[in-house]
Amino acid sequence: MKVRKNEANERLLVEAARRDPARFADLYEEHFERVYAFVACRVQDRPAAEDVTSDVFHQALANLKNYEWRGVPFAAWLYRIAANAIADRWQRLARESGNPSQDDPPDEHKGVNPEQIERRAQLFRLVRTLPSEQRRVIELRFAEGKSIREIASELKRTAGAIKQLQFRGIQTLRAQLGKGTRKKLGGSNG
Amino acid sequence: MAKQTPSEQLDKLVERLLGRRDAPLPRSEAARPFDTRLVPVLEVINDLRDLPRPDFKVRLKADLERRASMASTAKAVSEFRTTATPYLSIKGAAAAIEFYKKAFGATEAFRLMQPDGRVGHAEIDIGGAKIMLADEFPEIGFRSPESLGGSPIVIHLDVEDVDAVARRAVAAGATVVRPVADQFYGDRSGQFRDPFGYTWVLSTRKEELSPEEMQRRNDEASRQQSSGSSQEKESPVAAKFIREGFHSITPYLIIPEASRWIDFVKHAFGAEERFRVKRPGAENIIMHAEVKIGDSMIELADANAQFPPTPAAMVLHVDDPDAVFDRAVAAGATPFQPVADQDYGARGGSVRDISGNSWHISKPTPGNTIFEGFRSVTPYLNPLRVEPVIEFLQKAFGGEEVYRAQSPDGVIHHAQVRIGDSIIGMGDAHGPYQPMPCTLHLYVPDADSIYNQALRAGATSIQPVADQPYGDRSGGVVDPFGNRWFIATHIRDVQF
Repeated sequence: MKVRKNEANERLLVEAARRDPARFADLYEEHFERVYAFVACRVQDRPAAEDVTSDVFHQALANLKNYEWRGVPFAAWLYRIAANAIADRWQRLARESGNPSQDDPPDEHKGVNPEQIERRAQLFRLVRTLPSEQRRVIELRFAEGKSIREIASELKRTAGAIKQLQFRGIQTLRAQLGKGTRKKLGGSNG
Repeated sequence: MAKQTPSEQLDKLVERLLGRRDAPLPRSEAARPFDTRLVPVLEVINDLRDLPRPDFKVRLKADLERRASMASTAKAVSEFRTTATPYLSIKGAAAAIEFYKKAFGATEAFRLMQPDGRVGHAEIDIGGAKIMLADEFPEIGFRSPESLGGSPIVIHLDVEDVDAVARRAVAAGATVVRPVADQFYGDRSGQFRDPFGYTWVLSTRKEELSPEEMQRRNDEASRQQSSGSSQEKESPVAAKFIREGFHSITPYLIIPEASRWIDFVKHAFGAEERFRVKRPGAENIIMHAEVKIGDSMIELADANAQFPPTPAAMVLHVDDPDAVFDRAVAAGATPFQPVADQDYGARGGSVRDISGNSWHISKPTPGNTIFEGFRSVTPYLNPLRVEPVIEFLQKAFGGEEVYRAQSPDGVIHHAQVRIGDSIIGMGDAHGPYQPMPCTLHLYVPDADSIYNQALRAGATSIQPVADQPYGDRSGGVVDPFGNRWFIATHIRDVQF
């Protein structure tokens, strides 16, 4: 799995965005999923993940001139911003509520490794490549947190049909993810 | 238990994982109640719990694009409208703003005040040019010309009518450094120091010249200057406003028995008589004379009804104060302070000469800076209080306080003010050193403007500025402390 394009290409994207901030959109498209993945597993809920992700990209846009090309991937720079944003948020919440347990403490190395983030980012991108009905069900079910009944009502299908779409969607994602990558889970099924 | 379809089994798993956001990946646990074929998708489901909302991604992208387009605009502005703006650190920024309004027609854009009353930042506009300024903040190293002892930066201000603006600036309190004149490079300009220590060139473009033509004229001017032909003396070149052999300040002794006094200084101090004009028909009355002691000129004249005696106090620097003191006494001077090693680090003593002038005959110890900048003869004032005199000299003549020894009770024992190339010393009156208003001859670049400036600073006119037959343009004032100043600009050399 080679989600990130090669270094030279990434460098071109960064340079272009530095010269013309309008080109930042390309960097955003390239990195949105992995930043979101990085953030989401470190904060409590979806609104927090969206807040922090939004914060990260706004900071990145504003400070792009401070990004120095030293062979460090652009993503690493974004993760650094994200880690700081999460730490800030955590401190702010702790101060405001006197209860620091709302979010996880700011431990950069907590739980998730870069491979895992890349896998999730790829998964999020793959969702968009699903057949539209499967995609719709997966998004409503996971991103919007809707029940099978709600989705059935919204899409005017039976609950069984929705479950079937969900099943096929997840199987497709698993199959796509597995392509060319380790068969860790599959292998454990012995 | 009824057999579930794979999709139903999977949804149970989904349901369970979605309901427990913080659930660990339930691999082993899940493997038992569910179809083992579902195990490979557990991780997918687990990861999908963090799937971002599609509309969030779209919305954030739109936000960023809006921001980026603003950033593009801002970047374009900063790239193409780069300007350099002078930022002046000023002791008394509020007063300076008022001065710039009066002198240069500045308008104040805004000011930000500090809680302690200092101006933290202000911006003014002079004819479309932005200038930023603030009070000095020595605590953070932001210091004004006043506390640094000057500023090397000159601000060049292009104006439509340099003569008019120069008059206005001087009227507002600026000092002439170099009077307005046509310059070889095509400008008509002059240089002025504002009351806060900044130097401004006021300039109006008169001629558009190529750099080559400017260089040619510059070379020509340099050649003429270095050839030093005496015919060039008529040209109003900056440094020529002081008569040859003179300095900015020269004591002018108006004394009884001037002729006898000249003999006295010849004997006592080795003075050289350079020039003497006697009153026609009265050989013993001196109308004007000049003597030189060391590197210093002294002018003198017999006192008369119009000009009553104004002897002066002077510091005389010599190598051997004991010997010179003895010679002065032998020539008729009255000692009033014997020669001794003084507590300020010099050996010296004082006499009063036959015409009432007082002389402190002194030899400074090497390395002692107390008399730094003193010439062979340096006028010395002993006013009741030195402080207002310093203020007057600053305002009237652009004087610069360069030394002050003050005790905690406020008494100023010794201070020095530099005017042009000369020092004038002073100390609060005490003991035998009592106020002795004197007459001083002051060469300035522009007698007219300094004369007016002195009047504004509190002096009274005793003689309006006019061209004098001896080659100066000069006028006279008396300052609030009784000292008389003849303010002169040397215009041409006259052969007598």
